[in-house]
Amino acid sequence: MGNSSSSSTRAHHEDTVDFGSLVPQGVYTGPRDWNQPIVSQHIVARKLAPFYRPLEEYDPSWDDDQILAARKELSESDNADTVTRIEAAATAHLNASKSANKRPGVTKESSRPEAAVYRGAVECPICFLYYPPNINHSRCCDQAICTECFVQIKRAEPTTTHLVSEPAACPYCVQDNFGIVYTPPPWRAGISSEGSSSLWSLDPPRSPQSIETSPPFPTHKRRQKSFGADSPEVVTTDQIRPDWEAKLAAVRAAVARRANRRIIMRQVGDRLIPVGVGRIQTPEEVAAEATDVAGSRRSRRRQPQPNGNFEQFVGMGNQDLEELMLMEAMRLSLIDHEEHQKKEAEEKKKQAETALASGATPASGTPSEIQAAPGPGPSTIEARLATHSSISSNLSSSPASVAPISSGSSANSQHGSQDGLAPSRKSWSISRSRTPPPPSNDDQSTSSRRKSATGAPPFSALSAALVSSSTSTASAFLGGPIGMDGTAPSTSSANGFPSSHPDRGLPSIPIITVDDNTHHPPQTPPDETSTHPPAITSTSSSMSFADAANHGPMSYGELPSSPESDILHEPLITRRREPETIGKVVVSGFSMRGEGQRSMTIANDDVFFSFYFVSLHTTTHASLLACLELFLTFLGGFDEYIMTAISAFSQFSPPNSSNNFSIRIPLEPLRVSPLSGHV
Amino acid sequence: MASISARRLAKELREIQGEGCPVGISLLKADDFATWWFSIEVMGESLYQNEAYTLQFRFDSQYPISSPAVQFVVTDGKQAPIHPHVYSNGHICASILGNEWSPVLSVVAVCVTLQSMLASCKKKERPTDNDRYVRTAPENPKKVRCHLPKSVSSANSFPDTIPL
Repeated sequence: MGNSSSSSTRAHHEDTVDFGSLVPQGVYTGPRDWNQPIVSQHIVARKLAPFYRPLEEYDPSWDDDQILAARKELSESDNADTVTRIEAAATAHLNASKSANKRPGVTKESSRPEAAVYRGAVECPICFLYYPPNINHSRCCDQAICTECFVQIKRAEPTTTHLVSEPAACPYCVQDNFGIVYTPPPWRAGISSEGSSSLWSLDPPRSPQSIETSPPFPTHKRRQKSFGADSPEVVTTDQIRPDWEAKLAAVRAAVARRANRRIIMRQVGDRLIPVGVGRIQTPEEVAAEATDVAGSRRSRRRQPQPNGNFEQFVGMGNQDLEELMLMEAMRLSLIDHEEHQKKEAEEKKKQAETALASGATPASGTPSEIQAAPGPGPSTIEARLATHSSISSNLSSSPASVAPISSGSSANSQHGSQDGLAPSRKSWSISRSRTPPPPSNDDQSTSSRRKSATGAPPFSALSAALVSSSTSTASAFLGGPIGMDGTAPSTSSANGFPSSHPDRGLPSIPIITVDDNTHHPPQTPPDETSTHPPAITSTSSSMSFADAANHGPMSYGELPSSPESDILHEPLITRRREPETIGKVVVSGFSMRGEGQRSMTIANDDVFFSFYFVSLHTTTHASLLACLELFLTFLGGFDEYIMTAISAFSQFSPPNSSNNFSIRIPLEPLRVSPLSGHV
Repeated sequence: MASISARRLAKELREIQGEGCPVGISLLKADDFATWWFSIEVMGESLYQNEAYTLQFRFDSQYPISSPAVQFVVTDGKQAPIHPHVYSNGHICASILGNEWSPVLSVVAVCVTLQSMLASCKKKERPTDNDRYVRTAPENPKKVRCHLPKSVSSANSFPDTIPL
């Protein structure tokens, strides 16, 4: 009868296993984030109980009709298709068994096999619903669990604050690596039932075993041993969610990216102006670099970055959304900037012609003056830009083009990232590695830095911990279209001359203005290539804070006269020194107040510290993050803990009513401020 | 079909109404499948003798896979017990309410656990970071990862309470 089934029964057989389904029956309404094909596979292989329609209640005295009536109504929205299919199939079976129930041995109770499977139903201890006795059992403690509940159990999703993914624990005995073992019934129906005995041939169930044990349904005998998570009989929660590793890796990568993002600051007078966001080297990278050959080092290290950036633009890689959005914002603002730049260039031309004609350089606001301004900031970056574009305008997207310049400026350098910077560098990145470079490295780098710093002593021991950053992301990160409510002061600060900065006399912290002052070569056509990270690449430089820090604020004026300053006299640079901004993020009103003496101590020997509350007032989430990083950088550096705090912060969605945020920042990492004697 | 949450809670409720709660625990309010209130009192000798507290359970649609949000009620003149794992805003730092929640646990099981948490208390005091925590705590205690040192939780690598 099962074999001579009608077409509808056939369909039923194709979709079901032992009268259960391959798909969930709507007990849970959440996302089905497990790998359904794998689950189906396991069900077909009889390694996992099929999804049976659960019974709301069960009483052993029920007859078939009562059993079928107790089967859960399926949620229509979820499983409409399945419902009808199963309903139809059930009806077909009903009819089939009615028409052919002359078969000997068929008892009244089992005249409908789809009801008979529920004989001896077992309550799942999690959903409190009843399922056929052939239910899954936990591999460790042999507790029943239905497939509906089993597929819900998974590793905790890794978050940016919790970067580990412990295997799901058994809900009953809390053993790790939760898995189940399934003992299928002695008969088969539905998929993969061909060639094996069907329910009918065994019906009424009178296999030798069941005669001995008397109940006419399969019973679960408590087993003595538990199965290992890697036993072939076991289906684990990880097996049906094979993507957990990828998810974890993605979150880790996102955090790592965020942690490596650094804000590159430029000093203008007594202020620090962030000019970009960079990426800090890991201690491993530093170590690798130290042993590397000076010439090839840079290109090797840098080359992948623009590629990576490019990939972001074409949507490759597993960039997190936030970063993509920032990149897009940056791209748009660069496009915008391109247009502006064009206009500027034209004006400039006219102006230059006029100037030539008159034989005199206008006194103020002209390129030359800006150039000579003592503001130490723009020069380096723009010098780089200039050299960059002049040497290899066709390589504008390749950071490798930076390499010859840098190594040329400090040929004797052993420690490239730090002494790639000549003493006169005025733009530097305040980027700190979370861990100081290894000691072996340290000696080397210190000595070489001394060498390259032309005798000037390092700023402080801190400099050892200052690892330069290579910029992989554009400064427009900070300066995207966000926070366009920028004020005039911010624009002028971007000019890079302290003399014009209205807030010059103020103490360091009250307002931080983030402007993008990095411009790319005006002659670059505004095509796709030029709007992507090359502009970023152009800021790509390895600069040490220490060298610039050697000079007190008083020495800024000397900087333009440094050996490299002649680069500044190239016309390209002056053009680029126009007081333009791509975008701004204005952070104002930092309010800080100390909190408690000490916070909790917790595992891993982590001592924890007092906290500051920092209130930020900004417009968008992205700018908040940027500002926060900026602020922390300003205060002296990053630390794992801070990054953790930032990550936590980033998961806060801004309340609509107020743009006021508070975040706790561990104080300790901020205690040492490289700027303390400086700003 | 009702959600898993409502269905399971309906069964739990039926059981509570049929078989009653363990000694010292009584159901105060269960008008829906979103919020339940229980009265909980420590029986026998303890620091909390003759003190009754009100526990609030809030359930989301993924209960019991996701844990209920459990806290002591501190409104309507009610107060949270003074306990090293109970903040004055009613939030409770107990591992079974966080990372050690298991769908096998039930509302009554949580009540019993918290009852014994109170019963075993040696000294009535607030968590050391109570003031700071209460100032910044989110409304829903589930949004905070439990961090107190001696909570029964397994090793928690993160050093402080951080909004999730």
